[in-house]
Amino acid sequence: MRNPMHLTREEERVLDGEEGEARRKAMEIVVALGEIYGAKRLIPIASAQVSGASFKTIGDAGIKFLEDFSSGAKVRVRTTVNPLGLDLKRWESMGVDEQFFSKQARIVRAYESMGLEPIYTCTPYLSGNRPRRGQHVAWAESSATVFANSVLGAMTNREGGPSALAAAIVGKTAEYGLHLKENRAPKVKITLEGIPDGLVPLAGYVVGKIAGNRIPFIENLNLSHDQHKSFGAAMAATSAVSMYVYRKRGSRRKLDISQVEECISIPASELRDCAEGFRGQDSWDLVAIGCPHCSPAELRGMAKKLKDRKPAGDSEVWFCTSRRAYSACRKEVGILRKFGKVICDTCMVVAPIEKMYKTTVSDSGKAMVYLPTLGKQRTSFRPTSALLEAISR
Amino acid sequence: MPGRKIRAGTASGKAVVCSAPISFLGGVDPANGKILDADCDAKGLSVAGRVLCFPYGKGSTVGSYAMYQLRLNGMAPAAIVNSSAEPIVATGAIIAEIPMIAGIDVSLIRNSDDAVVCADEGTLELPNVSEKHVVTNILRCKGRILLLKRSNSVGSYRGQWAGVSGYMEPHEPDESAARRELEEEVGLGRSKLVNKIPPERFRDADIVWCVHPFLFDVKDQSISLDWEHQAYEWVLPEDVAKYPTVPGLQKIVCRLLE
Repeated sequence: MRNPMHLTREEERVLDGEEGEARRKAMEIVVALGEIYGAKRLIPIASAQVSGASFKTIGDAGIKFLEDFSSGAKVRVRTTVNPLGLDLKRWESMGVDEQFFSKQARIVRAYESMGLEPIYTCTPYLSGNRPRRGQHVAWAESSATVFANSVLGAMTNREGGPSALAAAIVGKTAEYGLHLKENRAPKVKITLEGIPDGLVPLAGYVVGKIAGNRIPFIENLNLSHDQHKSFGAAMAATSAVSMYVYRKRGSRRKLDISQVEECISIPASELRDCAEGFRGQDSWDLVAIGCPHCSPAELRGMAKKLKDRKPAGDSEVWFCTSRRAYSACRKEVGILRKFGKVICDTCMVVAPIEKMYKTTVSDSGKAMVYLPTLGKQRTSFRPTSALLEAISR
Repeated sequence: MPGRKIRAGTASGKAVVCSAPISFLGGVDPANGKILDADCDAKGLSVAGRVLCFPYGKGSTVGSYAMYQLRLNGMAPAAIVNSSAEPIVATGAIIAEIPMIAGIDVSLIRNSDDAVVCADEGTLELPNVSEKHVVTNILRCKGRILLLKRSNSVGSYRGQWAGVSGYMEPHEPDESAARRELEEEVGLGRSKLVNKIPPERFRDADIVWCVHPFLFDVKDQSISLDWEHQAYEWVLPEDVAKYPTVPGLQKIVCRLLE
């Protein structure tokens, strides 16, 4: 029998219900997960990111729980929320029905009454919730988790929605998994022999499939932060790992790669084959860009390419982004809106698109995993540049 | 049976046992508690008020909320017994206030067993099932092991092939029991102990056999049988599968020789 976790007197008090039922339950969840994974203690977190925000994913059961739970619960740390099933301002023009809206509104009320920030995005790190290197956080949302661990150097496990909420209310999480240095060493080295233009998301897709549950080490990975965002999102969608270790070309940064037990090379042709496999068809009901949510730089880049062109084609077009990026790029949003809808608070993965469309094309590797299942779409992949070509002339 | 607490509380009820992992989201009907998952051998049974036993949870983390919905609908299980706990079911048990333990071999439980879960102690009791402790000795000589054919005078498993085995007396240390049986049944109580592994449990009707396995080396293949056996053979370990044996013998031989 393992030793139970060591709890401070203060933590015991919460667990005994002396600070109310909601905090007791939250502490019970944090402690139970710690004991399952053999944690020795709890550690403070700098922030939380809660998933399970769309009515489409959590349903009536989720609403009921959040409403009941919210009466006595308040988060203790800065907490942001995953995308909802709709844009709170533009849901009608998205084609979402009234009933879905009213259910979604109940979820939003419950979260906001618990003190969560009304920031509904999978890119909290672009909306002010950006942990520093070495800080511990409790984040759900697989793409944000992998960005926090791999690019920002923060430390988090891939939390579930309820466990991230519990950690936010307690202000702590149990110290296990990626919170411990010894569990953050790469186990497999993956060499990308070349990433063809626009296929960074599929590189993440393929790396995730190969990595499985092993943290990969990728040498000579020269990507912008925005490219890391889409690379990591796809990797997390096809693997059970929430972290990769990388070094830029020419970097002499010291890394511990002593635990690498296998080296695998991915030729550029494999990524082209992967793109071919996701080619699907050439006309679509919906062109969906922004999984993960578009950054300000991405909105600006697309607006620049489109500004002297005219809309073309008859597909519906969604540019999915965060409110923060939307407000930061008013002028560019104005340009993009000639070509489609610029949508905040939600995305093609968690909005109820199955009620509206049958075929969707996206430039996201993560969307290739979820659109066919969660969205019931016949799905195609194209690089961003090809999508901009398709929607303009 | 000893396990460990995941969520506190005490509960009792008839067992519902599923040998495959369960997803509460889509795998259990929230309206009536019936198991819908086609992979589940307990499909169609209701979990409401039952002690629900399955290896571990699977699927989306929304499954925790689905367990809460079962509670609100009055269809929650009385308790949950898992082989290994994972976050979805553990979180669901906490928010739905269902006593839960883990670390239990659910293959020892049968549908409709009366089951009592005392989660604070981390234990599961099956009042109508008795646990019997026995020793099983595997004798090895020149790469072969000894199988004995049980006689028609013994109380259980007549005519089946077994190691040198017998009941442990109350409070008797297992190694003493092992040597006593060796002496009584084949006259070799002073053989050399080579390996001993933790007990294996097997369910048969209303009995859980808790088998304490031992491996002994002997120099000589000549033995003398008592009334409990009618024949013996020295066989290669890989040939054990060819004999009609008592439950679990092949597994015990494999683990002892590992």
